[in-house]
Parts: sequence; C-alpha cells; structure tokens
Amino acid sequence: MIALTLAATPLHAADPDLDTLLARLARPAPDSTSFVEIRYSSLLDKPILVSGHLEHQADGALVRRVESPYQEVTVLQGENVSVERAGSKPRQFSLDRAPELRGTLASFGALLKGDRPMLEQYFAVTVSGSDALWEITLAPRNQKLKRRLSNIVVDGAGDRPRCFTLHEPDGDESLMALGVDGPGDLPAPPERQALEAWCTASTGH
Amino acid sequence: MTPARKGLLLVTWIATVALLGWVVNRDLVIGSDLRLFMPSPRTQQERLILEEIGEGPASRMLLLAISGPDPQAAAETSRALAAALRSSGEFRLVANGESNLDSIPESLLAYRYLLSPTLDHTMLDAGYLRAQLEERLRDLSSPAAGFLEPWLPRDPTLELLKLADSWLPARQPQLMYDVWFDPAGTEALLVAETRAPGFDPRGQRRAADELQRAFEASRTDSRLRLEASGPGAFSVLMQARMQEEVQWIGTVDAIGIVLLLLVAYRSLPVLVLGLLPLVSAGVAGLAAVGTIFGQVHGITLAFGFTLIGVAQDYPIHLFSHQHRGLDARTSVRALWPTLATGVASTCVAYLAFLFSGVGGLAQLSVFTVTGLAVAGLTTRFLLPPLVPDSGRDAADSAVLGRLWHSIAGLPRPLWLGVAIAGACTGYLALSPRPLWENNLGALTPVPRALLERDSALRKELGAPDIRHLLVIEGADAQSVLEKAEALEPGLQSMVTRGELGGFDDPARYLPPKSTQERRRAALPEPGALESALAEALGTTPFKPGVFAPFLADVERARHLAALGPSDLAGTPLETRVESMLLERDDHWTGLITLAGLSNPAALAQTVAGTPGVTLLDLKQASEDLVAHQRERILWCLAISAVLLVIVVFVALRDASRVRRVLAPMVLTNLVIVALFHAAGISLSLFHLIALVLAAGLGLDYALFFEHAADDPAEQRRTLHAVIVCSLSTFLVFALLGLSTMPVLRAIGITVAAGVVGNFVLALLLTRPRDAKTHGR
Repeated sequence: MIALTLAATPLHAADPDLDTLLARLARPAPDSTSFVEIRYSSLLDKPILVSGHLEHQADGALVRRVESPYQEVTVLQGENVSVERAGSKPRQFSLDRAPELRGTLASFGALLKGDRPMLEQYFAVTVSGSDALWEITLAPRNQKLKRRLSNIVVDGAGDRPRCFTLHEPDGDESLMALGVDGPGDLPAPPERQALEAWCTASTGH
Repeated sequence: MTPARKGLLLVTWIATVALLGWVVNRDLVIGSDLRLFMPSPRTQQERLILEEIGEGPASRMLLLAISGPDPQAAAETSRALAAALRSSGEFRLVANGESNLDSIPESLLAYRYLLSPTLDHTMLDAGYLRAQLEERLRDLSSPAAGFLEPWLPRDPTLELLKLADSWLPARQPQLMYDVWFDPAGTEALLVAETRAPGFDPRGQRRAADELQRAFEASRTDSRLRLEASGPGAFSVLMQARMQEEVQWIGTVDAIGIVLLLLVAYRSLPVLVLGLLPLVSAGVAGLAAVGTIFGQVHGITLAFGFTLIGVAQDYPIHLFSHQHRGLDARTSVRALWPTLATGVASTCVAYLAFLFSGVGGLAQLSVFTVTGLAVAGLTTRFLLPPLVPDSGRDAADSAVLGRLWHSIAGLPRPLWLGVAIAGACTGYLALSPRPLWENNLGALTPVPRALLERDSALRKELGAPDIRHLLVIEGADAQSVLEKAEALEPGLQSMVTRGELGGFDDPARYLPPKSTQERRRAALPEPGALESALAEALGTTPFKPGVFAPFLADVERARHLAALGPSDLAGTPLETRVESMLLERDDHWTGLITLAGLSNPAALAQTVAGTPGVTLLDLKQASEDLVAHQRERILWCLAISAVLLVIVVFVALRDASRVRRVLAPMVLTNLVIVALFHAAGISLSLFHLIALVLAAGLGLDYALFFEHAADDPAEQRRTLHAVIVCSLSTFLVFALLGLSTMPVLRAIGITVAAGVVGNFVLALLLTRPRDAKTHGR
C-alpha cells in the first residue's frame, strides 16, 4: 500500500495536478460542514467572527447557517440569494449584485462537485504546494468580478479544504475556516498573519 | 353646348376639385384621439371617466416579455432595452426590477430622511442607532456585505435601501440576474409606461415602433423574442389588422365596381364622369369638416368615405336613363325631383348625428351631408352637359324587359308585409335579451389567447388593473397628496386581508410637505445626534469617526425645504410621480392604481370617508356612457325620421305614395334588426349608422321605382339603374362583411342585407297596385 502510494506520488515536489485534486475534494450532496468566518473590514477596528454550518443540499442549494453569536440563514439557490435573520424580513438579491459572491459560490460549487470547467469559467486557477498540503489560488477573469475581488485562496490538506480566503481590492478580507467548530479551535487573537499561517500549517486535524 | 365649352366645363370642374383638394390636403389635420367618438361628459363623474380612460397609468402600460433559450442573455437585453426606452422619449417609466442605489441622484440622497417613513415610528436616538449598528455588523459578516459596505458610513440605518425597496412593487416577480423573470425563469419581464395616452393610436404606434427598434438594437442574442401586451399594444395590433383588411377589401371593391360600370355602360368616358361627383363630394366634405372643426378624425375619414359611397348612385341613375336622342340635360330635369328627394331625405337622416353630442359623429354628419349634397348638385348641374350621347338604351334590353315583366307578375301580399312588421316588432319587444351592445371592446376584440397572456403577465408583474382606479381631486397638489397618504392604511389593510393585491399611490414616492416637515422636525440637532451615535457605538468594533458622513447628511437634511412635485424634475421620482399626480386646468388629480382587486364593494366603503375620492369602474362607467350616448342618438334619429317623412311627403304630396315609398325601408330595417337579434348579434352604434345608410339606399330605390310608375321604358331604365346601384353597393358591403373585424363586419353585413331587402321590397311594394294592369 505504501509502495503504491509512493509510486503514484512524484518524488520531486511538483505542483499537484488540479484534476486529481478536484476529484479528491468532491463531496456528494447532501453534505454539511462546520465553519468559522472571520471578517476584516476597513470600517472596523477588530474583526467579527461568526460560526455555524455550511450545507450543500441535494437540490443544489447552498445554505450558510450562522448559529453563533446570532442566528442567520443564507440560501444561495440558482441566481438568487436570500439572507434571513431572526426577527427581520428576509433580504433578497441576485448574484449580479454581489459578484464576489458569485465567485465564491462558483469556487465552492466547483470544489464540491469537482467541476473544473465551472471553476475556469470565472477564474484563472493556479495550484501550488504538495498533494498533502496544497493551495489553490483563484484570480477572477472578468472586470466586474475584479472590481470586488482580488482573489480567492483555498488552502487544504489531503482531501480536505481548510480555509477559503477572499481578498478584496480595498484590503478587506474574509476568511472562512472549514471543519472548525468554534473560534476556540483557531489562534487567538484572530489576527490575519496568525490565521493565514494556521491555514497553511501542516498540523491541525 | 359646343365641344369647346364642354371641355372648358370639364377642365374647370376638375381644376376646382383638384385645387380644393390640394388646399384641404395642405391644411388638413387628422386627429386620432379616440375620445372624440365618446359622448361629451355631462356630470363630474363622466368628466373624470373620460379623462382617465386612456390617461391613467394602467392604460398606458405595456407589459413586455423577453424570451429565449438563454436567460442570462434575456436579462442583459432587459437591462439594455430598459435603458434605451428610458432615453427614447416615448416612455416615461420603464421598470424591469433593477434597483440600483447608484442611480439615485446625489441631489435626492439627503432627502432620504424626509421621504422614508422611518422617522414616523422612531427617533434617531441612541437606542435605535445601537440596534441599527448591531444589524450592520451582522450585515458585514453576511454575504450582502459586498454591496452594503460602501454605503454604511453615510447611511448606517440603510434608509436609502428602505426607500428603494418601498418604491418597488408590493408584489414583484422573482429576480434573476437582478431583473424580473417569470416563475419558470425563462422570460425576462418589464413594464413600460408610454408617454402617449392610451386613446392616442398614433402615439401608441410611435411607441410600438420605438420599442421594436430599441429591442433590435439591444438584443444580445438573435434567438430572443420580444412580446408586448397591454391596451396600447392591442390597439396598435388591431389597427394594423383593420388597415390590412380595409386595404384588400378596398382593392377588390375598386376592381369590382370598375368592371360593373364597364359592363353596364360599355363606355370609358361614362366611367370617368361617374367618378367626378363622388370625388367632388369627398373633397367638399373634407373641406367642410376642416373649416368647421379645425381637424378631421381618422375614423371620420375612413367611415365617411364608406357612407358617401352612395353618391356613386346619383350619376348611375342619370346614365341608365340615357338613350338615343335624349339630351342628358333634359333627362336630368325629369329625374331631379326624385333624386333631390332622395338626397334631401338621406341628408336629414345623417343630420341626426350632428346633434348626438359626440364630436366624432358630428364630424361624420357634416362630412356626409356636405358630400351627398355636393354629389347631388354636381350630378344635377355639372354632369349632364358632359354626358356623351348614348347609342344604347337600357329600355331596349330584352333581358330587363322579361325581368320586369316577371317581377310585375309576382303576387304582392301587402298583408304579409304588415304581418312581418308586426311579428318583428313583437319579437323584439318581448325578447328578454338586451338588444344593444354596450361594451365598446366587443367591436375590436383582442384574440382570446392574447388576453389570457395579458392577464397572466399582469398577475406576474403585479401590474395595475385597467378596470378600477381611485381618483383623488383637490385644489392643489398638497391636498391631493395628503388624501392619498390618508388612504394608505385602509388600502394596506385590504391588502393584508387579501381583498386587494396591491396599490400604488403618489404619496408613496412623494409624501405631502406636511409629512416631510414633520419628519424633518424629528431629526436631532448635530450635538444630540453625535452623542447618541457615540453612545450607540459603545463597545462595537466600528472605528471611531467612521460615520462622519452620516452626521453631515442628517445635518444637511435638517435644512432642506420639503420636496414638491416641481422639485422632482430630472430625478427618477419625476417619472413615477407625473403619471399619478396631474395638474389640470384649475385643479390637481391624483391616481391610485389597483392590482388584483377582488372586493370592489369593500374598497368603495374604505374610501367613502375621504372626500374628493372616487372609485372609478371604467368598464361599468364606459358602458353607462355608451348607453346614455345611444339613448340620445336614438332620440335624434327619431326626430330625423319624422323630418324625413315630412321631406318625402312634401315631395310626393300623396299619403299612399309616401306609404309605398317608405314601406320597403321600414320593413327591411325591422327584419334586419329582428334577424340580428335572433342570431344573437347585439347592436352597436356602428350597426345604427349602417342601418341609416341602408335606409337611405332603400329610400332612393323606392323613390326611383315609384317615379318610373307607368312608363314601361322608364321602368326598365330604372330597373337597370337600381340593379347597377344595388349591385355595386352590395359588392362593397358584402366584402366588408367578410372582414374578421367585428366593427367592419357589422357595417358590411347590415348594409349588404339592407341592400338586398330594400331592393326586393322596393320592387314588390313600391308600385301602386293598379300599375300591374298597365304592364306588358
């Protein structure tokens, strides 16, 4: 078994093959994974953290369920996004209004389904690292998306993505750590460098 | 008359007609306001109805659907089309679901606190701001962060978004790619309001052309299709179809009549001469209408030429009585009393419409009366010297002789005529079904499939009903806006109860100044706001000073003068408000459009408490108007019928002759009305006009038969003339009866049936009983 793995893995550390990587990452729906999201904004002097679950439902909808520190459900279905918070009326908008979201969604969907053409429709894709510890960088192709999104970096280990990081042109950033149950599992205080280091570190789970 | 003088007469005549025609053509303004064919209003309510029919936003609204295999292409085209239509000048409001905060001009941004209802329920105090900032923090970590974040420093309560949301229809279609789509997600939907009112067919035509052009220019995929629905689109469609039919019918008519005249008279000069009185009639009629009314309506033009087509008969009578050795000037003197009686009595019948109280019918009346009089007079005085000597005599025709003989031999059961008249009258009097059609739409019906599509789109888009409308009247704009605002809670609770799908009112976009000023007074002073904000920020992670633009905006708002209708020029609000808040001569009118009204009675009750507010049921009201209008026209017709009998009596001076002349026409009209009723055809104004036309023809036939009384040769010549007249008229109207347009069909069938009935009955009933013994 070990011999087989060794045979399949090039000895010199070449960048991992995207197709192979995507095939390994694909998860059949329905699927659910916990997340912690940290948002850095120029309006704020410290980041905000929320945690909850991401669900990929059988009908193709992506649901982002915030459970702490408040309840909020975002449903991304087709072209439409609805954000519903306990006690207020749902806000609805389309992906055209939020191009960065279309990008995230496309990258998420493509990763979940192993759909490379979809990924490449929106992004120029580069892969680095090794099979064990890899990083996919997605640079937007169209101008509209570029105005709102510098790039998306997906860090992962083996067959699991660990972090989705969205870099916005104004320096704002949003980092989503997957498979993490709460802020307690992350470095504290949640500073950018510390978190980025955590995302790319080989240790973890 | 020497050939030279004949030539001079002919040239002078043609030159006069041509010159008058040129002047008329130069000065003629052709109107297209359909309201000219509606009765002039007598009550305040009727005045409102006439103003709102076609003027209200609902009747200007076009519902558009762009479909194609690729929804994204449809969405892109929807955006490009909306932009093109907005800048075209033909449309004043185009909505496709896009609500772009960036499109709200800078000048209106500070007004958001005066326009939005937030300050009606709350103060900009620490508690409220604190709650809002908490929400904004959550927004910042939600997927909506991307587009909300840039606005937050200026607008932490998201007032602008609340305003933009409140301007969207209460129930709107689903959004895909940020534009409206049908539930299946295959068609992009838009609503466009034309600048031209619904009753202006020419304006609607321009809008339709512009729409098509803009679509061609903005489509991103050649497989995309555009569908337009709504009153304006339908009227354009129906008009095009009507024109198409009238064109081919007219072409066939012209060929048919030329052939008929050639067969009847075998002479080209006669054919050309025969047209001169008709052309003179048309030009004179137009000149008269233009002089009296300043303009002529398109319908008068089209319809009037149909009516004065009768004038073609006048020269035919003259030609058919021509024979060798007879100078037309002699013959016309013998014919003239009969011809003059026919012309005068027909003119009297059409005079009824002059007093109908309907502008369009008055035009029609002037046109027809002038035209017929001119045709009669030119036939009497100008035509005879020009008629060439005829080598042929209709009286020589053996066929006609045999025909006349066999007709003369027919039994004439006068009691049967009386019995039929009695039966028809009894049937019509006793039938429980209404005799009349009050629904104007029934005359130019839109195909059922299109109507179904329209109501589906209307429901989808939450577009207003065409039928119901709330009208608010007031001395000035502010009082109208105040009433509109006062109605909102009642209407809203009807929406909640499900009795109303939605409504749209001007105060929603432009609250009355009193309300704006109340909100302005509720804005805190800079010091108070600053400390409230500081308290609200407390331990939130917002950076200090981040909301300075907000403080500045509120301070600016505190010194703004309230917005009035005239301040909206150039803003997106202008287009919204101008269609619902109108200034008329000395007063202001506000319109509240309604969608999905299921309980009109409850609505009437809801608005009953507010003075100056009327719930209009345009369908019911227009049907009432039509009924009133018809009542008046029927009275006018009754009076002109009496006048007509007097004219005939003065001409014939003999009760039994008058009876014989009038009997065929009365009986024919009775039978036609009874047959139509039995066939389930409801009578409209157009049937009425057609019946008058048929009656006029019948009277002519009867007068000429009566005139021919005893002379066998004259009888055959008259028979020849009446056959040519009735055949040509029958041809024209029978073709019109083949039309798919009910209004054309109504006229065609009525007149064609009238020609047949009048011809047969005139033959049978007109000659005195003893005439038989003189026949061959």
